[in-house]
Amino acid sequence: MKARKKGMLFSVVAVLLAMCLLVGCSSSSSSSSSSGSKSGKSSDGLSGTLEIQYFVGGYGDAWWKDVIKDFQAKHPDLTIKQDAGPNVNTQMKTRWISNNPPDVVYIDGAGASETQMIEDSQLMDLTDWVKSIKLDDGTPLMDSFIVPPSNYDGKIYSLPLVFDTWGTWYNKALFEKKGYDVPTDFESWMASMKKIKEDEGIAPFTTTGKYPYYFLRGVLFPAFASVGGEDLLNALIDGDKGAWTDPRVEKIMGDVQKMQEAGYIDKGFAALSHTQSQMNFLLNKNAYIPVGFWLPNEMAKDVPKDFKFGFIPSQMHEKSDKASIVPDLRPLAIAKKAKNPEAAKAFVEFAFQKKYAQTFAEKTGAMMNMKGVDLDSDAKVPSYLKDANKMINSGDVQVVQKDHPMSQDFEDPLSDALVSLMLGKMDAKAFCQKAEAAAQKYNAKK
Amino acid sequence: MVQSKRQKYLFLLFCLLPTLVVFVIFTIYPLFNGLYLSFFDWSGTGSVKTFIGLGNYKELLHDPIIPKTIWHDYFLVVTKVIGIMIIATFFAVALTQLKVKEAPLYRVIFFFPNIMSVVIIGILWQFIYNPDLGIFNTGLKAIGLGSWTRPWLGSMEWSLPSLVLPSVWAGIGLFMLMLMGGIMNVSKSLYEAAEIDGANQWQQFWRLTVPLVWPQIKTSILYIVITTLNGSFVIVQIMTQGGPNNATQVMGSYLYQKAFQEFHFGYGATIGVMILILSLATVLVLQFLLKREKVEY
Repeated sequence: MKARKKGMLFSVVAVLLAMCLLVGCSSSSSSSSSSGSKSGKSSDGLSGTLEIQYFVGGYGDAWWKDVIKDFQAKHPDLTIKQDAGPNVNTQMKTRWISNNPPDVVYIDGAGASETQMIEDSQLMDLTDWVKSIKLDDGTPLMDSFIVPPSNYDGKIYSLPLVFDTWGTWYNKALFEKKGYDVPTDFESWMASMKKIKEDEGIAPFTTTGKYPYYFLRGVLFPAFASVGGEDLLNALIDGDKGAWTDPRVEKIMGDVQKMQEAGYIDKGFAALSHTQSQMNFLLNKNAYIPVGFWLPNEMAKDVPKDFKFGFIPSQMHEKSDKASIVPDLRPLAIAKKAKNPEAAKAFVEFAFQKKYAQTFAEKTGAMMNMKGVDLDSDAKVPSYLKDANKMINSGDVQVVQKDHPMSQDFEDPLSDALVSLMLGKMDAKAFCQKAEAAAQKYNAKK
Repeated sequence: MVQSKRQKYLFLLFCLLPTLVVFVIFTIYPLFNGLYLSFFDWSGTGSVKTFIGLGNYKELLHDPIIPKTIWHDYFLVVTKVIGIMIIATFFAVALTQLKVKEAPLYRVIFFFPNIMSVVIIGILWQFIYNPDLGIFNTGLKAIGLGSWTRPWLGSMEWSLPSLVLPSVWAGIGLFMLMLMGGIMNVSKSLYEAAEIDGANQWQQFWRLTVPLVWPQIKTSILYIVITTLNGSFVIVQIMTQGGPNNATQVMGSYLYQKAFQEFHFGYGATIGVMILILSLATVLVLQFLLKREKVEY
């Protein structure tokens, strides 16, 4: 009898042990919270817990820590919980699925998609609220954005926090030394690539074939924006009927084919990840590469001493067209099921201040999406960012906004065909037809 | 002391229950949950799930990339089975029969890739294949075959064959050890008898070694097939991400793309069900094809 009891005890202990192991696996380590008393109302009424989810990537987390610290100081009765890190989107996924999301979310990085979150109706409708916000100097927030929020059928679900943009980079030091001209349109770009190919013996252009959207967003989007403005760009992103077989688009894709045929695109590009292609660029194995503003920050450890970053907004258009940039924005949003919506709104409003836009440029090397921030006199802001800022404000370059990012459902088949075109396995006409077919399939499913 | 029946069962329960619990939670539950989710239109990121019956399966049948992924997977299965089995058997025989003095050293060297993570192997071979800096192309140039150089992983024709080499390289060691174990269990006297009867090395291999280590060969083949169908994903994801233009897309990498990058978790689950069915069918067919009478001398 005793032995039997013992046996039972053993099995119970074993099962418990197994359970403990399982529970141990699932505990999360990403969150940290700063203290504040849980109960009691403060004078401005903000109390309880505010949970903020933010992805930490190329921009780091120094800016976030600062803003949150200041916000905490202003609201001592609020407990702020931070969920942060490079994998936070995956870590928080189960919380979103189980309708238990954080209050505020910064949407950036792999595994996070603004479009998808809106399709899953996870974000709060901010349309009316955002119109009521005013900055310290009295200007409405809506008038202070460089680029206004994404527009989903007239509704606003997120506020663009980070202003990033794609373009083509070159080695300014090399160009100055060898006297290469910086291209301003397709003709001058082809001439420049011809000269570089002959003089340097390299394939002048590289990009990552593993992530073909670098070429799509970095070279093609600005080109489409230059020749057709917002209307054409948005029609292409939405996959509207006939957009991808538009003669202006066919012309640009034909130019890509010309680049390929002339041997200007690095033959190995399809095998390269973004960092590999960027490394080749830094080693002067290629002269041009399309990446966003984060390139200097991302490669900071590997930049050779005599290397100087130069940035071209767009160069695939005709001389008569204006150069364009198509901003790529990283938004801040509030969860529809936020448990503390008042604090969430207060935090979002708090973050959009000019002084934080200033520190953002200093700490991340990128811009916050706010107008009228003086970067020029700030010694801590990198020079390429000042150049870009000047360019955006100069009026030589038009800022063309897309209504919203392209859906991955459409971008993936498009990217596949793009790689074929750039490898010379498909001509421009076939590409446009393939893109049109993919667009129709995408819209039929929507 | 004689154990009562009850005590015996309790002991068995004690041994089996923890494993069973873990097995149910980590294998059985995901299996059925995957099957369940394949009937839904679900993004995998929200709480909204819509039941669409066989909708995902219909889409699967009309997806032009699916046949490609199946073909790519079976291409890897066939080339890996042939490559690994030939080389592993050769090495196993050489290291056991040919009285090589440094046999233990070679055993360690050949087994070495098996203790490395596939992720490391993928990254390593990415460098080897690098069009500009990789030793593959520089080696070809060094021996005067400069015209053979190409961006291996960036070429639509060569990227898939290029994945075979690292996969075979990574697989040889384990199966070599398995076969060596088999061969060393064959009684020496059988080989001596065969030699006295005038059988040469080749005949000894085909008439003695192969039939006697057949169970090990069969297990090895099945193991390679299963791990390739389920695990080719890792090397593809690391080295090519299915590109260029789906030239190396396998079922697993396509599942990942659909479920986690394009946010169609339900469709991803459907691809998972397809992998399960294909793996089961392949293993059943192979069980039948590789069936041989057990040989004993």
